[in-house]
Amino acid sequence: MIRRLSIPVTAVALAALVVGLTRPVAAHHSFAVFDMTKQQAIDGTVKKVDWTNPHVWVWVDVPTAAGGTETYGFEGMSPNYLARRGWSRTTLQTGMKVTVQYRPLKDGKPGGMLVSAKLPSGMLLTGGGAQQGQ
Amino acid sequence: MTHRSFAFASLVAAGLATGAVFSVNAQEWKTKPPTAADWAAMAKLPDFNGVWEAGRAPAAAPAAGRAGAGAAPPAGPARGGTAAAPTGRAGGGRAGGAPAGPQLTAAYAAKRQELAGRGAEDNDSANCLPPGMPGIMGQPYPMEFLLTPGKVTIVIEAYTQVRHIYTDGRPLPTDPDPKFFGTSVGKWDGDTLVVDTVGFSPQTMLAANTPHSEKMRISERFHLTAPDVMTIETTVTDPEALTAPWTSSRTLVRHRDWTVSEYICEENNRNYLDASGKAGVKLDK
Repeated sequence: MIRRLSIPVTAVALAALVVGLTRPVAAHHSFAVFDMTKQQAIDGTVKKVDWTNPHVWVWVDVPTAAGGTETYGFEGMSPNYLARRGWSRTTLQTGMKVTVQYRPLKDGKPGGMLVSAKLPSGMLLTGGGAQQGQ
Repeated sequence: MTHRSFAFASLVAAGLATGAVFSVNAQEWKTKPPTAADWAAMAKLPDFNGVWEAGRAPAAAPAAGRAGAGAAPPAGPARGGTAAAPTGRAGGGRAGGAPAGPQLTAAYAAKRQELAGRGAEDNDSANCLPPGMPGIMGQPYPMEFLLTPGKVTIVIEAYTQVRHIYTDGRPLPTDPDPKFFGTSVGKWDGDTLVVDTVGFSPQTMLAANTPHSEKMRISERFHLTAPDVMTIETTVTDPEALTAPWTSSRTLVRHRDWTVSEYICEENNRNYLDASGKAGVKLDK
């Protein structure tokens, strides 16, 4: 279930997020593997969270048209950085429903750079940490 | 004794026997045990101890600090607050616009162009190789300063690294072994810590895609511009690579409620840069 945002919306909506994300993520590696011109959204269920350095990985099971699931991998910031900004090891847990915004992998594999993960509670998790929903 | 350990022991013995020949000046300095007076003197030094991280957008930043930080995080320390205002003050000394980049000699401009032209999609940090000096001082993670008699130690969270700055009067080595962070000595100029560093590994870069020569030297001046704000003025000189000294300034903000965490890059690094310069990611590791 991939919803592709229109380019103008992507550019505008992401400008602020990218300001917060660019520098930290780039500290370990570049954006070369991600298509930074695209942002996609996907709904799924958290399968696992790797609360590890150098980057957090969020694994999300996404329903497929055939009735099964496909696991996507999303790369986030360092857990050290996030933990100082309200996103802790236990914030995102297996079984939670999430809507993920991400920059897709260029090679077409299921996953990408995590822009944000939104929980049903409204909490928004980004490269800048956690923000409570409005 | 196994063959291997015997061979090792033989090497050690040979090394001991010829130690006088191979001794390096940097290794000859004998650290004196600190006295009570040395410890008491520490109290007179500027208060550098604690956990610091790069401040943001110094001169132009409004007092509110970060963009987009409307709601406070539900747990854990928030950034900004008292730290944001003095950050702006600290950066006020520099004129607007980006700091000037390094002015390269023709030979090193060509080297940079060649490296950039190879089209590597990333640098070796994707494979967890830490950056050297001066890049390691610009990471988006905290650093803890520890002052003890005769030494300033900087514990760097990024890549779990450490800088050792000797302030006990020892000289810089005349023929230093090349290292990522070089070899550093420091002295106090009033309330400013002045650090000189020499001897950098050829694996490290002066700036992006920009190598340095064996003659690179880095001078840093650390001083407090507010109780929890530190400014570092960094000057890089390199008679082969630079036509003029390259000076830049960075601002650190102290976070009294933070500790430095571990950062083991190999723990779960799924990114890589292969030999051909192509960046990739491993989803199925």
